[in-house]
Amino acid sequence: MAISSDSSKQPLITKTLIKCMSCDYSIERDFQEGDFVPKLVGTCPKDGGKLYIAGIYAIKLQPQQAKR
Amino acid sequence: MLFDIFNIVAMAQGLGGSSSSEFLLTTILYIVFMGFIVASFFPGFQQKMQIGFLSRDVEKNLYMIEGYLKDSKSMAEKLLKDKNFPEPQQFINKVMERFVIDPVNIEPTDIISRMKLLLRANEDTVREMITKYSPNIDPMTRSQIEISAEVVNALNMIFKIIRHYLLMAKKLNSIMIMYQLQMVAPIYVKLAEAYARAQKVFLQGIPVGDGLGPLVASRFLMNINDKWVPSKDIIAGTMEFEGRRLIVVKAEGPMATVGTPGEAVQNIIEKEGSKVSRIITVDAALKLEGEDTGSIAEGMGVAMGDPGPEKIAIERVATKYNIPIDAVIVKMSMEEAITEMRKEVYDSADKVVNYVKDLIRERTKPGDSVVLVGVGNTAGIAQ
Ligand SMILES: [Zn+2]
Repeated sequence: MAISSDSSKQPLITKTLIKCMSCDYSIERDFQEGDFVPKLVGTCPKDGGKLYIAGIYAIKLQPQQAKR
Repeated sequence: MLFDIFNIVAMAQGLGGSSSSEFLLTTILYIVFMGFIVASFFPGFQQKMQIGFLSRDVEKNLYMIEGYLKDSKSMAEKLLKDKNFPEPQQFINKVMERFVIDPVNIEPTDIISRMKLLLRANEDTVREMITKYSPNIDPMTRSQIEISAEVVNALNMIFKIIRHYLLMAKKLNSIMIMYQLQMVAPIYVKLAEAYARAQKVFLQGIPVGDGLGPLVASRFLMNINDKWVPSKDIIAGTMEFEGRRLIVVKAEGPMATVGTPGEAVQNIIEKEGSKVSRIITVDAALKLEGEDTGSIAEGMGVAMGDPGPEKIAIERVATKYNIPIDAVIVKMSMEEAITEMRKEVYDSADKVVNYVKDLIRERTKPGDSVVLVGVGNTAGIAQ
Protein backbone atom coordinates (compact mmCIF):
# COMPACT_ATOMS: atom_id res chain seq x y z
CA MET A 1 0.00 0.00 0.00
CA ALA A 2 1.08 3.56 -0.71
CA ILE A 3 0.63 4.53 2.92
CA SER A 4 3.48 2.47 4.31
CA SER A 5 6.03 4.21 2.11
CA ASP A 6 5.18 7.51 3.79
CA SER A 7 7.78 9.29 5.87
CA SER A 8 5.12 9.76 8.58
CA LYS A 9 5.77 6.17 9.65
CA GLN A 10 9.09 7.31 11.09
CA PRO A 11 8.79 7.44 14.88
CA LEU A 12 8.60 10.93 16.35
CA ILE A 13 9.66 12.11 19.78
CA THR A 14 8.32 15.28 21.35
CA LYS A 15 10.81 17.71 22.89
CA THR A 16 10.40 20.84 24.97
CA LEU A 17 12.81 23.73 24.40
CA ILE A 18 13.44 25.99 27.40
CA LYS A 19 15.07 29.40 27.00
CA CYS A 20 16.16 32.20 29.28
CA MET A 21 14.51 35.61 28.91
CA SER A 22 17.69 37.60 29.54
CA CYS A 23 20.61 35.55 28.15
CA ASP A 24 21.24 32.96 25.46
CA TYR A 25 20.90 29.94 27.79
CA SER A 26 18.70 27.19 26.38
CA ILE A 27 18.05 23.53 27.13
CA GLU A 28 16.05 20.82 25.37
CA ARG A 29 14.34 18.07 27.33
CA ASP A 30 11.60 15.47 26.75
CA PHE A 31 8.05 16.79 26.71
CA GLN A 32 6.11 16.39 29.96
CA GLU A 33 2.36 16.65 30.26
CA GLY A 34 1.44 20.11 31.52
CA ASP A 35 4.05 21.88 29.39
CA PHE A 36 2.85 24.74 27.23
CA VAL A 37 4.29 27.78 25.45
CA PRO A 38 5.36 30.19 27.09
CA LYS A 39 5.05 28.67 30.59
CA LEU A 40 7.58 29.92 33.16
CA VAL A 41 9.72 27.07 34.49
CA GLY A 42 12.16 28.42 37.08
CA THR A 43 15.30 30.51 36.97
CA CYS A 44 18.36 30.48 34.76
CA PRO A 45 21.49 28.81 36.24
CA LYS A 46 23.70 31.30 34.37
CA ASP A 47 22.28 34.70 35.33
CA GLY A 48 19.12 34.03 37.38
CA GLY A 49 16.77 35.24 34.62
CA LYS A 50 13.33 33.77 34.08
CA LEU A 51 13.20 30.51 32.15
CA TYR A 52 10.26 29.95 29.79
CA ILE A 53 9.16 27.22 27.39
CA ALA A 54 9.98 28.61 23.95
CA GLY A 55 8.71 25.67 21.95
CA ILE A 56 7.33 22.15 21.92
CA TYR A 57 8.04 20.17 18.77
CA ALA A 58 8.50 16.68 17.39
CA ILE A 59 11.78 15.45 15.96
CA LYS A 60 12.40 12.26 14.01
CA LEU A 61 14.08 9.58 16.07
CA GLN A 62 17.50 8.62 14.70
CA PRO A 63 17.55 4.98 13.49
CA GLN A 64 20.08 3.84 16.12
CA GLN A 65 18.03 5.54 18.85
CA ALA A 66 14.85 3.88 17.58
CA LYS A 67 16.39 0.43 17.91
CA ARG A 68 17.22 0.86 21.57
CA MET B 1 16.50 -21.82 10.25
CA LEU B 2 17.19 -22.53 6.58
CA PHE B 3 17.78 -26.21 7.35
CA ASP B 4 14.41 -26.43 9.05
CA ILE B 5 12.74 -25.27 5.86
CA PHE B 6 14.59 -27.88 3.80
CA ASN B 7 13.53 -30.57 6.23
CA ILE B 8 9.88 -29.58 6.02
CA VAL B 9 9.98 -29.57 2.20
CA ALA B 10 11.63 -32.97 2.15
CA MET B 11 9.02 -34.36 4.55
CA ALA B 12 6.17 -33.03 2.44
CA GLN B 13 7.64 -34.62 -0.66
CA GLY B 14 8.10 -37.90 1.16
CA LEU B 15 4.43 -38.03 2.15
CA GLY B 16 2.99 -38.06 -1.40
CA GLY B 17 5.21 -40.93 -2.47
CA SER B 18 2.87 -43.40 -4.26
CA SER B 19 2.22 -43.01 -7.98
CA SER B 20 -1.59 -43.50 -7.83
CA SER B 21 -2.12 -40.52 -5.53
CA GLU B 22 0.16 -38.48 -7.76
CA PHE B 23 -2.02 -39.35 -10.76
CA LEU B 24 -5.18 -38.40 -8.87
CA LEU B 25 -3.70 -35.04 -7.90
CA THR B 26 -2.68 -34.28 -11.51
CA THR B 27 -6.16 -35.18 -12.77
CA ILE B 28 -7.89 -32.99 -10.23
CA LEU B 29 -5.61 -30.08 -11.02
CA TYR B 30 -6.25 -30.61 -14.74
CA ILE B 31 -10.06 -30.61 -14.25
CA VAL B 32 -9.95 -27.48 -12.11
CA PHE B 33 -7.74 -25.74 -14.66
CA MET B 34 -9.97 -26.68 -17.63
CA GLY B 35 -13.11 -25.73 -15.70
CA PHE B 36 -11.55 -22.36 -14.99
CA ILE B 37 -10.78 -21.77 -18.68
CA VAL B 38 -14.31 -22.79 -19.78
CA ALA B 39 -15.91 -20.64 -17.05
CA SER B 40 -13.90 -17.61 -18.13
CA PHE B 41 -15.67 -17.72 -21.54
CA PHE B 42 -19.02 -17.08 -19.88
CA PRO B 43 -19.81 -13.38 -19.72
CA GLY B 44 -19.69 -11.91 -16.23
CA PHE B 45 -17.41 -14.51 -14.71
CA GLN B 46 -14.28 -12.41 -15.01
CA GLN B 47 -16.11 -9.37 -13.73
CA LYS B 48 -17.39 -11.29 -10.71
CA MET B 49 -13.84 -12.40 -9.95
CA GLN B 50 -12.58 -8.88 -10.28
CA ILE B 51 -15.31 -7.49 -8.03
CA GLY B 52 -14.34 -10.14 -5.53
CA PHE B 53 -10.69 -9.09 -5.56
CA LEU B 54 -11.50 -5.39 -5.40
CA SER B 55 -14.00 -5.75 -2.59
CA ARG B 56 -11.51 -7.71 -0.53
CA ASP B 57 -9.05 -4.87 -0.93
CA VAL B 58 -11.66 -2.29 0.09
CA GLU B 59 -12.76 -4.40 3.05
CA LYS B 60 -9.20 -4.51 4.29
CA ASN B 61 -9.09 -0.71 4.21
CA LEU B 62 -12.49 -0.48 5.86
CA TYR B 63 -11.31 -2.67 8.75
CA MET B 64 -8.37 -0.34 9.26
CA ILE B 65 -10.69 2.67 9.40
CA GLU B 66 -12.96 0.82 11.82
CA GLY B 67 -9.92 0.09 13.98
CA TYR B 68 -9.04 3.78 14.18
CA LEU B 69 -12.67 4.59 15.02
CA LYS B 70 -12.68 2.04 17.85
CA ASP B 71 -9.36 3.33 19.21
CA SER B 72 -10.64 6.88 19.13
CA LYS B 73 -13.89 5.93 20.88
CA SER B 74 -12.12 4.06 23.64
CA MET B 75 -9.70 6.96 24.09
CA ALA B 76 -12.63 9.35 24.45
CA GLU B 77 -14.35 6.98 26.86
CA LYS B 78 -11.25 6.69 28.99
CA LEU B 79 -10.91 10.48 29.16
CA LEU B 80 -14.54 10.86 30.22
CA LYS B 81 -14.25 8.09 32.81
CA ASP B 82 -11.09 9.64 34.27
CA LYS B 83 -12.97 12.91 34.68
CA ASN B 84 -15.88 11.16 36.44
CA PHE B 85 -18.27 11.93 33.61
CA PRO B 86 -21.59 10.12 34.15
CA GLU B 87 -22.56 7.72 31.32
CA PRO B 88 -19.65 8.32 28.91
CA GLN B 89 -20.95 5.77 26.41
CA GLN B 90 -24.23 7.61 26.01
CA PHE B 91 -22.47 10.94 25.48
CA ILE B 92 -20.13 9.49 22.84
CA ASN B 93 -22.96 7.85 20.92
CA LYS B 94 -24.82 11.15 20.94
CA VAL B 95 -21.95 13.29 19.61
CA MET B 96 -20.78 10.58 17.20
CA GLU B 97 -23.90 10.95 15.08
CA ARG B 98 -24.19 14.74 15.32
CA PHE B 99 -24.45 16.75 12.12
CA VAL B 100 -24.90 20.32 10.91
CA ILE B 101 -27.12 20.89 7.89
CA ASP B 102 -25.79 23.38 5.35
CA PRO B 103 -27.90 26.51 5.00
CA VAL B 104 -30.00 26.91 1.83
CA ASN B 105 -27.70 28.22 -0.91
CA ILE B 106 -30.08 28.86 -3.81
CA GLU B 107 -30.99 32.04 -1.95
CA PRO B 108 -27.55 33.47 -1.09
CA THR B 109 -28.77 36.54 0.80
CA ASP B 110 -27.44 36.47 4.39
CA ILE B 111 -26.07 32.94 3.87
CA ILE B 112 -23.03 33.84 6.00
CA SER B 113 -25.08 34.92 8.99
CA ARG B 114 -27.19 31.79 8.71
CA MET B 115 -24.09 29.63 8.45
CA LYS B 116 -22.46 31.42 11.37
CA LEU B 117 -25.56 30.89 13.48
CA LEU B 118 -25.63 27.16 12.75
CA LEU B 119 -21.90 26.59 13.33
CA ARG B 120 -21.78 28.67 16.52
CA ALA B 121 -24.96 27.20 17.92
CA ASN B 122 -23.65 23.70 17.24
CA GLU B 123 -20.40 24.44 19.10
CA ASP B 124 -22.28 26.00 21.98
CA THR B 125 -24.69 23.07 22.17
CA VAL B 126 -21.88 20.51 22.44
CA ARG B 127 -20.23 22.69 25.08
CA GLU B 128 -23.50 22.91 27.02
CA MET B 129 -23.93 19.15 26.78
CA ILE B 130 -20.52 18.75 28.42
CA THR B 131 -21.06 21.36 31.13
CA LYS B 132 -24.52 19.98 31.89
CA TYR B 133 -23.05 16.56 32.67
CA SER B 134 -20.07 17.99 34.50
CA PRO B 135 -20.67 21.57 35.70
CA ASN B 136 -17.28 22.20 37.35
CA ILE B 137 -15.15 21.08 34.41
CA ASP B 138 -11.93 23.03 33.75
CA PRO B 139 -11.56 24.65 30.31
CA MET B 140 -8.58 22.44 29.38
CA THR B 141 -10.48 19.19 29.92
CA ARG B 142 -13.56 20.64 28.25
CA SER B 143 -11.58 21.47 25.12
CA GLN B 144 -10.09 17.97 25.14
CA ILE B 145 -13.56 16.45 25.28
CA GLU B 146 -14.72 18.74 22.47
CA ILE B 147 -11.79 17.70 20.27
CA SER B 148 -12.34 14.01 21.04
CA ALA B 149 -16.01 14.38 20.13
CA GLU B 150 -15.03 16.00 16.82
CA VAL B 151 -12.51 13.26 15.98
CA VAL B 152 -14.93 10.43 16.82
CA ASN B 153 -17.59 12.17 14.74
CA ALA B 154 -15.26 12.59 11.73
CA LEU B 155 -13.98 8.99 11.88
CA ASN B 156 -17.50 7.67 12.20
CA MET B 157 -18.50 9.64 9.10
CA ILE B 158 -15.54 8.33 7.06
CA PHE B 159 -16.25 4.76 8.17
CA LYS B 160 -19.96 4.95 7.39
CA ILE B 161 -19.49 6.47 3.92
CA ILE B 162 -16.87 3.95 2.79
CA ARG B 163 -19.04 1.13 4.14
CA HIS B 164 -22.08 2.56 2.35
CA TYR B 165 -20.39 2.55 -1.07
CA LEU B 166 -18.89 -0.88 -0.50
CA LEU B 167 -22.27 -2.40 0.32
CA MET B 168 -23.89 -0.54 -2.55
CA ALA B 169 -21.29 -1.75 -5.04
CA LYS B 170 -21.82 -5.31 -3.85
CA LYS B 171 -25.58 -5.00 -3.99
CA LEU B 172 -25.59 -3.52 -7.50
CA ASN B 173 -22.73 -5.76 -8.56
CA SER B 174 -21.13 -2.60 -9.99
CA ILE B 175 -17.49 -2.88 -10.92
CA MET B 176 -17.31 0.85 -11.65
CA ILE B 177 -18.28 1.87 -8.12
CA MET B 178 -15.91 -0.76 -6.76
CA TYR B 179 -13.02 0.56 -8.87
CA GLN B 180 -13.57 4.13 -7.66
CA LEU B 181 -13.87 2.98 -4.09
CA GLN B 182 -10.72 0.92 -4.30
CA MET B 183 -8.90 4.00 -5.61
CA VAL B 184 -10.01 6.41 -2.85
CA ALA B 185 -10.12 4.04 0.15
CA PRO B 186 -6.36 4.22 0.92
CA ILE B 187 -6.57 8.04 1.00
CA TYR B 188 -9.29 7.80 3.64
CA VAL B 189 -7.31 5.26 5.64
CA LYS B 190 -4.50 7.80 5.74
CA LEU B 191 -6.87 10.56 6.80
CA ALA B 192 -8.41 8.35 9.49
CA GLU B 193 -4.96 7.49 10.81
CA ALA B 194 -4.06 11.19 11.00
CA TYR B 195 -7.29 11.98 12.86
CA ALA B 196 -6.72 9.20 15.38
CA ARG B 197 -3.18 10.42 15.98
CA ALA B 198 -4.33 14.01 16.26
CA GLN B 199 -6.65 13.03 19.11
CA LYS B 200 -3.75 11.49 21.05
CA VAL B 201 -1.64 14.62 20.49
CA PHE B 202 -4.43 16.98 21.59
CA LEU B 203 -5.12 14.93 24.72
CA GLN B 204 -1.48 15.31 25.78
CA GLY B 205 -1.61 19.07 25.20
CA ILE B 206 1.15 19.06 22.57
CA PRO B 207 1.00 21.93 20.03
CA VAL B 208 0.05 20.85 16.51
CA GLY B 209 1.41 22.13 13.18
CA ASP B 210 -1.65 24.33 12.77
CA GLY B 211 -0.51 26.09 15.97
CA LEU B 212 2.08 28.00 13.91
CA GLY B 213 -0.09 31.14 13.73
CA PRO B 214 -0.81 31.23 17.48
CA LEU B 215 2.89 30.53 18.21
CA VAL B 216 3.94 33.57 16.18
CA ALA B 217 1.29 35.71 17.92
CA SER B 218 2.41 34.34 21.30
CA ARG B 219 5.97 35.60 20.65
CA PHE B 220 4.55 39.14 20.59
CA LEU B 221 1.87 38.68 23.27
CA MET B 222 4.17 37.16 25.93
CA ASN B 223 5.71 40.60 26.52
CA ILE B 224 2.36 42.36 26.82
CA ASN B 225 0.70 42.55 30.23
CA ASP B 226 -2.53 44.25 29.28
CA LYS B 227 -4.68 41.77 27.36
CA TRP B 228 -8.40 41.68 26.68
CA VAL B 229 -11.02 39.39 25.11
CA PRO B 230 -12.39 40.89 21.87
CA SER B 231 -14.63 37.88 21.09
CA LYS B 232 -15.36 34.31 22.18
CA ASP B 233 -12.17 32.28 22.93
CA ILE B 234 -9.87 35.04 21.63
CA ILE B 235 -7.13 37.07 23.34
CA ALA B 236 -5.76 40.39 22.08
CA GLY B 237 -2.98 42.69 23.25
CA THR B 238 -1.56 46.04 22.18
CA MET B 239 2.12 46.91 22.00
CA GLU B 240 4.28 49.60 20.51
CA PHE B 241 6.50 48.52 17.66
CA GLU B 242 8.91 51.14 16.21
CA GLY B 243 6.34 53.92 16.49
CA ARG B 244 3.40 51.79 15.28
CA ARG B 245 0.50 50.58 17.41
CA LEU B 246 0.51 46.82 16.96
CA ILE B 247 -2.60 44.88 17.99
CA VAL B 248 -1.95 41.13 18.20
CA VAL B 249 -4.79 38.59 18.11
CA LYS B 250 -4.81 34.83 18.78
CA ALA B 251 -7.10 32.11 20.14
CA GLU B 252 -6.98 31.75 23.92
CA GLY B 253 -4.56 28.97 24.85
CA PRO B 254 -3.35 26.55 25.95
CA MET B 255 -6.77 24.98 25.37
CA ALA B 256 -7.35 23.35 21.99
CA THR B 257 -9.41 25.95 20.16
CA VAL B 258 -9.29 28.11 17.03
CA GLY B 259 -11.59 30.74 18.57
CA THR B 260 -13.41 33.36 16.52
CA PRO B 261 -10.61 35.43 14.95
CA GLY B 262 -12.87 36.99 12.31
CA GLU B 263 -15.26 38.46 14.81
CA ALA B 264 -12.33 39.61 16.95
CA VAL B 265 -10.70 41.53 14.07
CA GLN B 266 -14.07 43.01 13.14
CA ASN B 267 -14.66 44.25 16.69
CA ILE B 268 -11.13 45.65 16.99
CA ILE B 269 -11.21 47.52 13.69
CA GLU B 270 -14.71 48.87 14.28
CA LYS B 271 -13.29 50.41 17.46
CA GLU B 272 -9.99 51.63 15.96
CA GLY B 273 -11.58 52.83 12.71
CA SER B 274 -9.47 54.15 9.85
CA LYS B 275 -6.33 54.35 12.02
CA VAL B 276 -5.61 50.73 11.05
CA SER B 277 -3.50 50.75 7.90
CA ARG B 278 -2.70 47.04 7.56
CA ILE B 279 -4.01 43.62 8.59
CA ILE B 280 -1.51 40.76 8.66
CA THR B 281 -2.75 37.16 8.91
CA VAL B 282 -0.36 34.30 9.70
CA ASP B 283 -1.47 30.70 9.24
CA ALA B 284 -0.35 27.18 8.43
CA ALA B 285 -1.19 26.18 4.86
CA LEU B 286 -1.38 22.88 3.05
CA LYS B 287 1.69 22.17 0.94
CA LEU B 288 1.68 20.45 -2.41
CA GLU B 289 3.56 17.15 -2.60
CA GLY B 290 7.19 18.05 -3.28
CA GLU B 291 7.15 21.35 -1.40
CA ASP B 292 9.22 21.60 1.78
CA THR B 293 7.60 21.46 5.20
CA GLY B 294 8.20 24.76 6.97
CA SER B 295 8.74 26.86 3.84
CA ILE B 296 7.36 30.40 4.09
CA ALA B 297 5.34 32.22 1.42
CA GLU B 298 3.58 35.54 1.34
CA GLY B 299 0.54 36.87 -0.50
CA MET B 300 -2.59 38.94 -0.28
CA GLY B 301 -5.86 37.98 1.40
CA VAL B 302 -7.05 36.35 4.62
CA ALA B 303 -4.97 33.25 5.40
CA MET B 304 -7.52 31.11 7.20
CA GLY B 305 -9.00 27.64 6.73
CA ASP B 306 -12.50 28.48 7.79
CA PRO B 307 -15.84 27.43 6.27
CA GLY B 308 -16.63 31.10 5.67
CA PRO B 309 -18.03 33.21 8.52
CA GLU B 310 -14.73 34.14 10.21
CA LYS B 311 -12.86 34.80 6.99
CA ILE B 312 -15.57 36.99 5.50
CA ALA B 313 -15.80 39.05 8.69
CA ILE B 314 -12.20 40.19 8.14
CA GLU B 315 -12.74 40.75 4.41
CA ARG B 316 -15.85 42.85 5.05
CA VAL B 317 -14.36 45.09 7.72
CA ALA B 318 -11.18 45.50 5.64
CA THR B 319 -13.26 46.52 2.63
CA LYS B 320 -15.24 48.99 4.70
CA TYR B 321 -12.09 50.85 5.81
CA ASN B 322 -10.04 50.01 2.69
CA ILE B 323 -7.28 48.14 4.57
CA PRO B 324 -4.94 45.79 2.65
CA ILE B 325 -4.68 42.26 4.09
CA ASP B 326 -1.33 40.46 3.99
CA ALA B 327 -1.12 36.69 4.29
CA VAL B 328 2.02 34.94 5.55
CA ILE B 329 1.81 31.17 5.38
CA VAL B 330 4.01 28.26 6.46
CA LYS B 331 3.56 25.10 4.44
CA MET B 332 2.97 21.59 5.77
CA SER B 333 0.98 18.47 4.91
CA MET B 334 -2.51 17.78 6.24
CA GLU B 335 -1.11 15.22 8.66
CA GLU B 336 1.62 17.56 9.89
CA ALA B 337 -0.99 20.27 10.45
CA ILE B 338 -3.17 18.20 12.80
CA THR B 339 -0.46 16.21 14.63
CA GLU B 340 2.65 17.22 16.68
CA MET B 341 4.31 20.40 15.43
CA ARG B 342 7.43 19.38 13.52
CA LYS B 343 10.80 20.96 14.29
CA GLU B 344 10.87 22.46 10.77
CA VAL B 345 7.60 24.26 11.45
CA TYR B 346 8.77 25.43 14.88
CA ASP B 347 11.95 26.85 13.33
CA SER B 348 9.83 28.72 10.80
CA ALA B 349 7.87 30.45 13.57
CA ASP B 350 10.83 32.62 14.60
CA LYS B 351 11.59 33.35 10.94
CA VAL B 352 7.98 34.44 10.47
CA VAL B 353 8.27 36.77 13.49
CA ASN B 354 11.15 38.58 11.75
CA TYR B 355 9.33 38.42 8.42
CA VAL B 356 6.29 40.12 9.95
CA LYS B 357 8.48 42.78 11.58
CA ASP B 358 10.12 43.57 8.22
CA LEU B 359 6.73 43.67 6.58
CA ILE B 360 5.46 46.20 9.13
CA ARG B 361 8.58 48.38 8.67
CA GLU B 362 8.23 48.28 4.88
CA ARG B 363 4.51 48.77 4.44
CA THR B 364 3.40 51.00 7.30
CA LYS B 365 4.49 54.37 8.66
CA PRO B 366 5.15 55.34 12.30
CA GLY B 367 1.84 56.42 13.86
CA ASP B 368 -0.16 53.75 11.99
CA SER B 369 -2.06 50.94 13.67
CA VAL B 370 -1.49 47.36 12.50
CA VAL B 371 -3.54 44.26 13.34
CA LEU B 372 -1.62 40.95 13.44
CA VAL B 373 -3.69 37.75 13.57
CA GLY B 374 -2.16 34.35 14.38
CA VAL B 375 -4.71 31.98 12.91
CA GLY B 376 -4.93 28.31 13.92
CA ASN B 377 -5.48 25.86 16.73
CA THR B 378 -3.75 27.05 19.87
CA ALA B 379 -3.44 23.73 21.75
CA GLY B 380 -0.42 23.88 24.05
CA ILE B 381 0.28 27.52 23.24
CA ALA B 382 -0.76 30.19 25.75
CA GLN B 383 0.00 33.90 25.46
ZN1 LIG C 1 19.94 33.38 31.63
